[in-house]
Amino acid sequence: MRTEFLGYERSDGEVGIRNYILVISMVHCANSVAQQIAWATGAHVIVHDGGCVEFADQHERTYLSLLSAAKNPNVYASLLVGLGCEQTDHVKLIREIEESGRKAEYVGIQEQHGAKETVAAGVEMVKKLQTEAAKMERKSFPVSRLVLGVQCGGSDWTTALSGNSTIGAMTDLLVSQGGSVIISEVGGFPGSEHVLANRAVNTKVGLQIMQMCDELRDDYVKVHGQTIEEVNPTPGNKAGGITTLVEKSMGNVKKIGVESPIQGLIYAGEHVPHPGVWILDLRAPGVDGNATTGFSMSGAVIDVFSTGRGSPLGNAVMPTLKLTGNPASYEEMKSLFDFNAGVVLEGASLEETGKALLEKVISVASGEETKSEINGNFEYLIPRESRH
Amino acid sequence: MIAWRVDPADNVAVAAQAVKAGDVLNVGGIDVIAVSDMPVGHKLALCDIPKGTMVIKYGVPIGKASEDIHTGDYVHTHNVEDITTLLCEEYATAYRRKAAEQ
Repeated sequence: MRTEFLGYERSDGEVGIRNYILVISMVHCANSVAQQIAWATGAHVIVHDGGCVEFADQHERTYLSLLSAAKNPNVYASLLVGLGCEQTDHVKLIREIEESGRKAEYVGIQEQHGAKETVAAGVEMVKKLQTEAAKMERKSFPVSRLVLGVQCGGSDWTTALSGNSTIGAMTDLLVSQGGSVIISEVGGFPGSEHVLANRAVNTKVGLQIMQMCDELRDDYVKVHGQTIEEVNPTPGNKAGGITTLVEKSMGNVKKIGVESPIQGLIYAGEHVPHPGVWILDLRAPGVDGNATTGFSMSGAVIDVFSTGRGSPLGNAVMPTLKLTGNPASYEEMKSLFDFNAGVVLEGASLEETGKALLEKVISVASGEETKSEINGNFEYLIPRESRH
Repeated sequence: MIAWRVDPADNVAVAAQAVKAGDVLNVGGIDVIAVSDMPVGHKLALCDIPKGTMVIKYGVPIGKASEDIHTGDYVHTHNVEDITTLLCEEYATAYRRKAAEQ
């Protein structure tokens, strides 16, 4: 079992596993210009529907999401692409990105006197950054420096049984070696809050988990007029064999294994204060991209994603390592999956499969491309609790 | 044919393929005969679960038997009551009491 990986050291002490260049749109008017710069250079692009005429709380989230992307340890540098009159303050953004030791440059469409002109200037700037980035070399680090997100989506009957359980075995192993794992999808927690609270490192954290689940339940009633139990499990869940909410919720939390204590809760844009298992309390709706982006905003460098039916979801600032617990899905969609946890259903031990998954994580951390990267899946969805 | 018991404490197992009545399912070395047809990923009882007692999966109660369930029976919404709200209230109360006593 390897205990080290080859990563990139950042000047603020964080360790990345990729040396990505980002092209970040400051406002939706600049989206297609930013996309063209990225497509011409192979950089990853972040576009979104915000950046102007936003209420303060909405704009705060837009800003935090763009800043957090640029500060992720996987990022060498970012090119910010603006229009010129937008709400997003690129001067402040550059200053805050540079405080983390990451590089940032700006190109503006009005300043460049046109869209084509901005694309041409932006392409040159990115090429220069790529030349600089190529000079950086990987160095050896202990696996304790890894921060992973763990997630599931596109689920089927195998997701809890073999997929999430294999992630859980990997989590226990990585955390025992001093690494960090972040779980979110907190909308799926009510029903297993007692199990989570009993996993908390102390009663203060346990009570925070209880409180979060109480609030989630109350929000359901306030916003939708229905209890969480009335809508969960969904008809689709029941058709797949899930009978009750406790059962559904327990399948979700299998991803954090059975041993490692939960250290605490973190919130949007916060990095883990110290190693271990953490809950990212992000209450944006349960679409997969919200949790993935939330992890990358919290400094995760890889997302380990269990999908029974198969999903291509990636992220602009971190590779997603896709596994399935379903041997048939693995055979049908080899172009999507990096790892077959379905072997657990064919007799392989959970412990050995978890170990093999951690080996795969270490290979990816050291430079092996995931299918999400090979297929060019680089989503970035600004997580919003409400769109109103 | 195989069914999976997730936790040693469980009294149900998950079928790893679609099941017909009379099929023999191997659950960790023990054979259980399926009483009725059931789709892949659904549960069958590994022992008798009398009405009013708990159905256990992942090592925790997931619901209450709403009728007498017998070994090999298909276990789903037709014979299990979802008592998540009640269970969670009990657990939360017990946890908060324990925390207050510390």
